[in-house]
Amino acid sequence: MKVPVSWLREYVDFDLPVEELARQLVFTSCEVDRIVRRGVPGGDNLRHFVVGKVLEAAKHPNADKLQLTKVDVGDGEPRSIVCGAWNFGAGATVAVVTPGGVMPGGEFTIEKRKLRGETSEGMILSERELELGEDHAGIMVLADDLVAGTPLADVLPLGDDVLEIETLYNRPDLTSVYGIAREVAALTGGELKPMPGVEPARDGDEPFPVTIEDLEGCPRFIARVFRDVTLGESPAWLKARLSGAGMRPISNVVDITNYVMLALGSPLHAYDAETLAGGQIIVRRARAGEELVTLDGTRRELDTRDLVIADAERAIGLAGVMGGENTEVSGSTTSVILETANFEPLTVLKSGERHRMRSESQTRWEKGVDPEAAGYAARYASQLLAELAGARWTGETEVRGEIPAPPTIAFRPAYTNEAIGLDVPESEQRDRLDRLGFGVDEQWNVSVPSWRARDVRRDIDVVEEVARFRLEDVPATLPNRQAMHGRLTHTQRLRRQVEDVLVGAGLHEAYTYSLQPDDPDPNALELPVPLSSQQRLLRTTLSVGLIGAARHNVDMGNHDVELFEVAHVYLPVEGSKVPNERWRLGGILQGNFFRAKGIVEAVFEALHVEPTFERAQVLEGSPVGARVESGWVAQHGPVGLDGEWSAFELDLEELFALVPERILYRDVITFPPLRQDLAFVVDEGVPAGQLLAAAREAAGEELREARFLSDYRGDQIAAGKKSVAFAVAFQSPERTLSDEDATRLRRAVVEALATRFGAELRA
Amino acid sequence: MDSLAAVDWTAYEQEALKAIEGALSESELDDARVKYLGRKSELAQALRAVRDRESGMLLNGIRARLEAAVLAREHDLLRVAYEAAADSGVDVTIPGHPVRRGRLHLLTQIRREIEDIFLGMGYEVWDGAEVATTWENFDALTSDPGHPSRSQFDTFYLDDDTVLRTHTSPDQIRAMQQRTPPVYLVSPGRCYRRDTPDATHSPIFLQVECLAVDRGITLADLQGTVLQFFRALFGQEREVRMRTSFFPFTEPSVEFDVTCFICGGRGCGTCKHSGWIEMGGAGWVDPDVFRNVDLDPAEWQGFAFGFGIERIAMLRHGLPDLRAFWENDLRVLGQF
Ligand SMILES: [Zn+2]
Repeated sequence: MKVPVSWLREYVDFDLPVEELARQLVFTSCEVDRIVRRGVPGGDNLRHFVVGKVLEAAKHPNADKLQLTKVDVGDGEPRSIVCGAWNFGAGATVAVVTPGGVMPGGEFTIEKRKLRGETSEGMILSERELELGEDHAGIMVLADDLVAGTPLADVLPLGDDVLEIETLYNRPDLTSVYGIAREVAALTGGELKPMPGVEPARDGDEPFPVTIEDLEGCPRFIARVFRDVTLGESPAWLKARLSGAGMRPISNVVDITNYVMLALGSPLHAYDAETLAGGQIIVRRARAGEELVTLDGTRRELDTRDLVIADAERAIGLAGVMGGENTEVSGSTTSVILETANFEPLTVLKSGERHRMRSESQTRWEKGVDPEAAGYAARYASQLLAELAGARWTGETEVRGEIPAPPTIAFRPAYTNEAIGLDVPESEQRDRLDRLGFGVDEQWNVSVPSWRARDVRRDIDVVEEVARFRLEDVPATLPNRQAMHGRLTHTQRLRRQVEDVLVGAGLHEAYTYSLQPDDPDPNALELPVPLSSQQRLLRTTLSVGLIGAARHNVDMGNHDVELFEVAHVYLPVEGSKVPNERWRLGGILQGNFFRAKGIVEAVFEALHVEPTFERAQVLEGSPVGARVESGWVAQHGPVGLDGEWSAFELDLEELFALVPERILYRDVITFPPLRQDLAFVVDEGVPAGQLLAAAREAAGEELREARFLSDYRGDQIAAGKKSVAFAVAFQSPERTLSDEDATRLRRAVVEALATRFGAELRA
Repeated sequence: MDSLAAVDWTAYEQEALKAIEGALSESELDDARVKYLGRKSELAQALRAVRDRESGMLLNGIRARLEAAVLAREHDLLRVAYEAAADSGVDVTIPGHPVRRGRLHLLTQIRREIEDIFLGMGYEVWDGAEVATTWENFDALTSDPGHPSRSQFDTFYLDDDTVLRTHTSPDQIRAMQQRTPPVYLVSPGRCYRRDTPDATHSPIFLQVECLAVDRGITLADLQGTVLQFFRALFGQEREVRMRTSFFPFTEPSVEFDVTCFICGGRGCGTCKHSGWIEMGGAGWVDPDVFRNVDLDPAEWQGFAFGFGIERIAMLRHGLPDLRAFWENDLRVLGQF
């Protein structure tokens, strides 16, 4: 919300410089994004802006489109000023800036200069030049009773500081200038003036039927009837304030509704009374198929959940959001129905969401407007309609449902100190609450004002009202703890270890999106309303994201692309939208199957887990792939990457379950090992891993080490066969093995491999 | 005594020392060693023949001194050899044999740093699920039905009751349900909001939640903890301040700022010339949140705070665009 400071000062006295006020508000009340100077730069500059009387006005001798004037600016020396406007003549009272004056924006200084051969000593000003409004068709003509030389700042709101405030969700009362004034009064101790608005004289008792069909959506509705309305422009001061607050002046009637909304926080709407079918208002839910063209010119298909304002025949406004074009106040309007009301926040919020609309009125209703403000707003708007549009107030109807009374809270001032760790004296607490409009009796029963009734309902909410003014004084202490333990879990330590192993192995860690365009699992959870088709599925594998990351690197011309990621995947669970979230390790790297397999083996080895690989088709289109405990490793098929690329993925929970709880010492020093190389000829289809596993099983504990050496086909080996060589080490922790022991163990291995795989020992 | 008498041992030692110290190469040294200390040397033969303690001491003394001399000369010769090599123009600026090495993602590095600071302060690290029920993500945190964060425009819904968590705060609820207080934890992880990606927004982002639940916790304890944490992260000179704010699940709620670690608080572009950097939201745990997880707010109090990891990374390392974190360009990943 934009708050012109002159407006704020109308409601509260304060001595602080604006910058200091803003700084303090940031701690106690709301964000202040910035302070902006609007209009004519202030200070000494203002003396150049004065009221002038036009003494003479005639066509410029050398230019058809210009006037040459003589203007009295009160110093006895009439100035000659060249002007482009023709909406005035001799005798007019005008706004003048003399040479030396700096114009709004601060970049342009008026100088004495020649225009088509005639000297111009200043400028006659339009509204737009003073940032008082949009009108630049002609210059501003002022009231004739003003004396030449009068400072313009005494007559017009020439310049102002504007606080740009962002209100918090729980403070809808700060979406009005008066609400902020109340806050400033509580903060500074300055005096808060009475709320603006005095009822004008009521002239008549016209009936105007109002029916509320949905009192929950609209607990209160006030319709006031005004006749003999003169539609026109608003006065300069009103336009200046609206512009300062960021709203465009439109016409006096519309401007008054906006002005009162900004002043008091309760949105209002004005209807052209002649356009209301049946001369009545009905508040109801929209009918199926009903349509409304809103004031922004958009045709909207209403939803039966939308709350609408209607006349006898049709919807004329989307309640709390925006009025309709069909009943808009226009140049021909002479009778006005003024609406102030209470609308239920969620109803307004949902309508706004459904129709993708945002309006000043809507943002206020959504957060919750003071239910009592409707009456004050009606009163103030009526006063202004009478004063500024010559309107006669001829009738009123109010319909009111159940509006719950604001709560009274039993409070304990010591609770403040218990919560914030700072001793705030009771007298200070009482004073602060009082200034904020709370009532506090002798027993500390706190009655909440209507404008805070939604947010302040419990004793802790009262604490905040006091605490927020003392945040700068809260000391820094630490919890007084009885026990301490800060450590990573076993799983978390292993996760870090895995990451470190991969970094040591040359891989860079990647972060890829959990939401993906595609997933191999057809049951992957899908967002009903994704942000884009690129992020619609909750992934069940890291591989898709990693392929994308690899491709990005290749496109960027990077070499040696080797990436891993440790992140969640989201496995669908039948009958639930809550997936089984698993920590996964995924990797992608340039190179064949064995490059990736080597990395996977390094991870297993670091964790003291012996992997077993079994050939399997784990990826679609993949030439080589294998399952391994907790996951897979494979060479990618065509995935849009040139050359050979391989990948792996391990489920970390499954993998970590295999990690031995503790490593027991094995004596490798006392008794020496006996080392031998063994080579077997087997059918080509026999996997080396199975030969090793069988050898281990046959020789038992004393086969301390069995390592794959080579896999050979060709000369000296029959077709369809291959030779597989291992290095083995026989060793016992209890004694030195003899040559006979070695022979026995070797025979056990040879016999087992011969029996199970038809393996023949080579020389 | 015969063998002793046959040799002038003083002369023998002199001669041997002269040969050892005069050796100009390893082979010359070896010759001298064999001649005066070897198995067939006069010294070795005399030692084998020695029968009395006095002679033994004399001969062993000579042997020890000669062996020490051999060792010393060996070192001399080696040093001379190395010095010669140093003169021969080896270019030590040529790279060593390459060793492949990767790097942790910057966000992981910072996440670990944050975790480690809290571990040091006696907090546990909590791993939370990213899919949450609306009860965990909103209701239990006393977010009212009209709060804008619940809207379909801000939150990814899987169905009416299930969302991608919009903050790490649902882990407060889960942790308080699963732990018996006192609870001190941090929960880092991915969160999701319907923000269109740009330089400072991403629909997926990383947050850290800190929760302390104990007896007698106050807002002052929050202030102290935040201060200690940010001093550990950004340096001991840092100060923090709290400003009023609103979150459904804390009361009072605050935002906290840290003095700028780029300019030290004097004002610079990073802190928008205010000297302060906004870091995150915090507050005293709302008593109704305790009630929602069946804890008695008269017995247990707590504070919570949360902040973004990307923001810290961007501020500290001067990264202008957070999309870089998700592009995984090796030229970027390799920098940190
Ligand atoms: Zn700075």
